[in-house]
Amino acid sequence: MAQPAIAVKDLSYSYGDILAVDDISFDVAEGEVIGFLGPNGAGKSTVVKMLTGQLTPQNGSALLLGMDIVKERKQVQQEIGISFESTNLYEQMSAVENLDLFAKLYKVSDFDAMGLLEKVGLGGREKEHVASYSKGMKQRLMMARALVSDPKMLFLDEPTDGLDPVSTETIHALIRAATQNGATVFLTTHDMVEADKLSDRVAFLNQGRIVALDTPARLKQRFGMRALKVEVELPEGGAEEREITLDEDQTPQAVFDLFKNERILTVHSEEATLEDIFFDITGRGLQG
Amino acid sequence: MDIQRILILLGKEARLGATNFMSIYVLVMPVILSLLIALVFGDLLAQTPRLGIYDASDSQQFIQPLLDHPSINTTLYGSQDALTRAVERGAEEIGLSLPAGFAEAMRSDSAQVDFTVYRWGEAGVRNLLLLESAVGRAMAEGIGSGIDQLPVGVNAEQLGSANNLTWSQRLLPLLLIMSIVLGGLFIPATSLIDERQKHTLIALTTTPATLLDVYLSKTLMGFILSALMAIIILLLNGAFAGHVALLLLVIALGGLLSSVFGIILGSVSKDMDTFMGIIKAAGILLYAPGILKIFPQVPEWIGRIFPTYYLMNPLLEVTQNGAGLADIFVDIAVMVVLAAALLILLNSVIGRQQQKLALET
Repeated sequence: MAQPAIAVKDLSYSYGDILAVDDISFDVAEGEVIGFLGPNGAGKSTVVKMLTGQLTPQNGSALLLGMDIVKERKQVQQEIGISFESTNLYEQMSAVENLDLFAKLYKVSDFDAMGLLEKVGLGGREKEHVASYSKGMKQRLMMARALVSDPKMLFLDEPTDGLDPVSTETIHALIRAATQNGATVFLTTHDMVEADKLSDRVAFLNQGRIVALDTPARLKQRFGMRALKVEVELPEGGAEEREITLDEDQTPQAVFDLFKNERILTVHSEEATLEDIFFDITGRGLQG
Repeated sequence: MDIQRILILLGKEARLGATNFMSIYVLVMPVILSLLIALVFGDLLAQTPRLGIYDASDSQQFIQPLLDHPSINTTLYGSQDALTRAVERGAEEIGLSLPAGFAEAMRSDSAQVDFTVYRWGEAGVRNLLLLESAVGRAMAEGIGSGIDQLPVGVNAEQLGSANNLTWSQRLLPLLLIMSIVLGGLFIPATSLIDERQKHTLIALTTTPATLLDVYLSKTLMGFILSALMAIIILLLNGAFAGHVALLLLVIALGGLLSSVFGIILGSVSKDMDTFMGIIKAAGILLYAPGILKIFPQVPEWIGRIFPTYYLMNPLLEVTQNGAGLADIFVDIAVMVVLAAALLILLNSVIGRQQQKLALET
């Protein structure tokens, strides 16, 4: 079996008395996109900070690309790219200057800042001060900065939070392109649609613990309740919505009876969302 | 520690500093003050040494080279009385009174020739040295001998105020402390706080660059600016004199102290307001020796209480009194000890800062 890109074992971190990350373990395969889902305060950012060398774990260990995140911190950081949740660009410098600075710090030879800026849709604005950019443009530049060293692993913390659809789609395309090139992506988000769309597997984090970790499809299969929503015409006029839960023993008979006895106006199948599943497992929503 | 990355980060500091108001302020302020002081107290526009001569008989061959000298202003006076009055009020820094028969006596092989030199009490050392050298050379050329073989006896007499420090010289210590401390302390501190507040510091330290690389680049920037400003201020005030190597050593130590202190202050200050608060409250400790130096009647030992005295004093000793290493050894030793203590403190600060940074984001 190939060595996992990320191998986390019994990782813990506390802020004083508050246990932020509670003894979590998981592996991420090379080239995989893992979505870390959880409400604010669930411990997502603390996990990212430990894996990217910003915080030293208080317990447990983690290997990234076979390197220990504590003992080989700088070697790990040479191989990763990070897009932070809050904008942290040099706003008095241009986009090209920002990217060139980081490319030099990674000692990237023959770095093509313009090519990268074209990819993130910032071509033509490359010489303007970043301070004049919109939030979406800054987020795209942050993504470009994470890519300057052509990293083997990307850590993306809420990369599309509060962005317009065009910027969101640009960033999604960049993530897909990075995975096609073999990069492993660690995506932290509380946007379940984004996680569902991009992730090979998702991990639900609640109160510092991983409460579920699987592909979105299997999670839906395991925890979600599929249903059929049917709109029927009432004899006295008007319409009424009926719901038949799928995957139960009595489902075929219920569907048969409904179609036999009622006049059907519309039929829709309904799948559980990741948010529904998270709520079912933890009893709280992702936005909480 | 990676030298290449430190230089890259230093370039970034220079690039950002060029558009930063605080950087411009701390660099321009001492220069403006220096020019203002020079304008008000006259040193900038009247730096040329002033020599007055009263010639009781025909000593033209000795006087003419001084009248033609390109670097001094020489004025002839018609009487001994006019000359002494001019020196007394400071119109001339040195008054040369040549007695009757001076030229003939100099040319003959007879015994020593006596004459009187009047010295204005507030004349600067630099100008006095220049004038004495010019007078000596003119006389030696006049009789074809070496300066050290001149058969003359000089009666020196001081006129005017007994204080030999001009106002520009009295204010120079304050200006020097301002330039070295402002550049060295403010630039690293404000740059670090700014990067922490804007979270760019965490972006840098999650690259292969270390926090030590970042700190060293900022400290180096402060050190360079501090040293540069000290040299500029000394040059502007006509005080870049004495043992240049020793002067540069003192400036370098001062720059190191200021920049390391600055980066430590930047690390422990929660934000820009806290930093400015500390500076406002403790700034007097930094500037006190310079302020005390304005008042010569204040006992010297009071200044010694403040750390910046050990930077200011050797600078003044070297530039104004031509001191050598032995004269300022104690000051240099104190600075070295202070620098070592600050570097140990800095090392401890860097060790704690990484975790603190992650918690701030």
